[in-house]
Amino acid sequence: MIVEAGQLALTFAFALSVLLALVPLYGSYRASQPLLLMAKPLAIAQFVSCLLAMLALIYAFRSSDFTVINVAQNSSSTLPWYYQITASFGSHEGSMLLWVLMLAGWTALVAIFSKALPLLLQGRILAILGLINAGFIAFSLFMSNPFARSLPFFPVEGRDLNPLLQDFGMILHPPTLYMGYVGFAVAFAFAIAALMGGRFDSVWARWVRPWALAAWLFLTLGIMLGSWWAYNELGWGGWWFWDPVENASFMPWLAGTALIHSLAVTEKRGTFKSWTVLLALAAFALSLVGAFLVRSGVLVSVHSFATDPGRGLYLLVFLLLVIGGSLLLYGSRMHAVRSQARYKLFSREMLLWGNNIFLLTACFIVFLGTLFPLFHKELGLGSVSIGAPFFDQMFYYLSIPFALLLGLGPWVRWKQQQLSPLLSPLALVAVAALVLALGVMATLQSVQANLALMGLLLGAWVGMSALAEVMQRARQLGSVKQGLGKLNASHYGMTLAHIGFAVLVIGVAMTKTYTEERDVRMQAGDSVQLAGYQFTLTEVYPLNGANYGGQAAELDVSKDGHYVTHLHAEKRFYRIQRTIMTEAAVHARLSRDLYVSLGEELPGNAWALRIQVKPFVRWIWLGGLLMTAGALLSLLDKRYRRKQLAGAAQAGEQYA
Amino acid sequence: MRKVLFYIPLSLFLLLTLFLLSGLFSDPRERDSAVINKPLPAFALADLMQPEHIWTPEKLAGEVFLLNVWGTWCPTCNAELAYLAELRAQGVKIVGLYYELPRDPTFDAPFDLATLQQDVTQKLAQQGDPYQFNILDLQRTLSLDLGVSGAPETFIIDANGIVRAHHIGDINPMVWRGKLAAVYQQWSKP
Repeated sequence: MIVEAGQLALTFAFALSVLLALVPLYGSYRASQPLLLMAKPLAIAQFVSCLLAMLALIYAFRSSDFTVINVAQNSSSTLPWYYQITASFGSHEGSMLLWVLMLAGWTALVAIFSKALPLLLQGRILAILGLINAGFIAFSLFMSNPFARSLPFFPVEGRDLNPLLQDFGMILHPPTLYMGYVGFAVAFAFAIAALMGGRFDSVWARWVRPWALAAWLFLTLGIMLGSWWAYNELGWGGWWFWDPVENASFMPWLAGTALIHSLAVTEKRGTFKSWTVLLALAAFALSLVGAFLVRSGVLVSVHSFATDPGRGLYLLVFLLLVIGGSLLLYGSRMHAVRSQARYKLFSREMLLWGNNIFLLTACFIVFLGTLFPLFHKELGLGSVSIGAPFFDQMFYYLSIPFALLLGLGPWVRWKQQQLSPLLSPLALVAVAALVLALGVMATLQSVQANLALMGLLLGAWVGMSALAEVMQRARQLGSVKQGLGKLNASHYGMTLAHIGFAVLVIGVAMTKTYTEERDVRMQAGDSVQLAGYQFTLTEVYPLNGANYGGQAAELDVSKDGHYVTHLHAEKRFYRIQRTIMTEAAVHARLSRDLYVSLGEELPGNAWALRIQVKPFVRWIWLGGLLMTAGALLSLLDKRYRRKQLAGAAQAGEQYA
Repeated sequence: MRKVLFYIPLSLFLLLTLFLLSGLFSDPRERDSAVINKPLPAFALADLMQPEHIWTPEKLAGEVFLLNVWGTWCPTCNAELAYLAELRAQGVKIVGLYYELPRDPTFDAPFDLATLQQDVTQKLAQQGDPYQFNILDLQRTLSLDLGVSGAPETFIIDANGIVRAHHIGDINPMVWRGKLAAVYQQWSKP
């Protein structure tokens, strides 16, 4: 009964989204205020309907209603209650409903927080979001219904949730990632609405900025959580695999990063307009292409959903309408928009332009690497695959000039910058970075020209330059203490995010260079040495979990005779799906992780174990967290919270 | 000129959609086999029913035949047995390569030849028996050398022991008539 109510709620949501797409748009055409005013209640009602549908699905999972096909295939009565909830978005159908819910959530947020926008613009933005909602709700409802029942025949027990998804990281990862993906729909809708009106200026950019930042924040966090999950759950100790599905999330991230930087130029200087609009379209377009790649079965990936050409075709037609339509509008309208601002070769504009070039090159490389096998095959040239070495090498080359520019960027003024005043502080930062990098290498007793040295140099350059720049700005605003108080939140946000990037670079370079690993055969009581640590296997015993059995291994770790920690690694056998999962034991410190995964049982009462010592691996996720925190800090900037900006009201009138 | 510039993103996107559309209707897992037009890799494997008899590539040569990788554990393989048996009745020589699943030392019972023989005999009695004989690939070494990614897969081997076709998936009337029959005819001519 409740399941049918969920189906009904989703149907209502579809009707509401169609109304939301049509009514305000017609209102903007007829310049009818009552019709435009309908947008907000429609958007909120649509969100409430989607929420009810999601709650009904969660109810079906919690009550283990195996007459619902989705529940029978992705849950079981022995599954712990929190995984029963997350199982509701573990399948293609459920995750699509989550996607729709997030999209409707963003739409409702736009409706609530856009009081300052002119009514016409507001109506158009919500109508475009309504259109996108309608497309996805229809997809969920007609192509992948999460509520479909298998009556009159139904199984007495479900097939259980894929054990890979039974992990804490998986509770958080998909919702955050989807928040990011669909969040770019807002910037997309702003861009389309502005294309319809034909006006772009600083005010428009200031309206878009917080939305783009918020979407970027979630996407960053989502990708970081995904990487953390893979590290804990896949048992290889890897944190990024250049898998097509990972790449599908990385492409919109790169385009989104370019967008938030390009938006800064458009807001402050009223230029880069056609560029910014294209990026706003691209970030969401890449999210959609990513969704298509994951759900259509075009590419082979470890974690793509079960495939169905009908679904792929629907999504492709939808892509063609939404992206093709928006790019057509872009082509026909954008050439008329001109930017007047002038700037010199050495100016912040140019450096941000460089930032955009590098980010988009990176995005293009990921795009090419991901889709090249498809192009190659469809051109009849046979099958190829592109592996991690290609991406690793390309990103190595790209990140060197990118990081050099990144250290320089915040120091440079808009319009024009004289080189001489920057020389002495930057030289100081460069020397300090060199000393720091060599110092770290010296403590590790490994001073040599390798990837780690490059990573440390670039990281120290970016991080220290960001810190020094804040001090410098503060000094210009009076004393350092006074100045630090006067700097606005978005400046701190930028600094924090840049330091996050520096931390990430150091983490990647150090982990890649200094990871040590051994695959060993051990009996209880055996010890192995790795990177100065002594790992002793104390015992292996059978496990008995709610829906799994298996074995657990206990290890003691010591260094130079001192006890360091106790590790507990598991090899689980999930009974219903008959799959074996590795739960790695991780002892995390800022400077290194100890990572042990339990392998096969070997003859002679022994076990295979994979033991790794991974220096600085935490820094990779810490970097991601700092970037997220930076975006959050920027969002808190006062200027985004002012209801009406001076001049904004009049400017808004002209949008008609 | 400036106007045209702004249509570049649209053109690139439309080009991409063409690729995505054609990609939608082809199988991403389909690969060119690396063993085509090469001789069968060297092996010496026991007959499933008469383990004292050892098969090698030389003993198989002399006549074109189908090498069918299968297992009783594989539902698709079981489904194709009936049609393969029909092909055998038409005079096609089919040799089975029995693909034994890896066993988990912790959770599975150890391998037992008698049980397996019994399983196979029972299955073939039920579904139809297309095989002249079966080669047991217990450690999956030959399957690995042939680039087998799963069962069922079928190879056409000519009279000189050269692999002439590699088909992934089941054999049904459509696949046989559309793809494999021609190759079989071509190489079975004296």
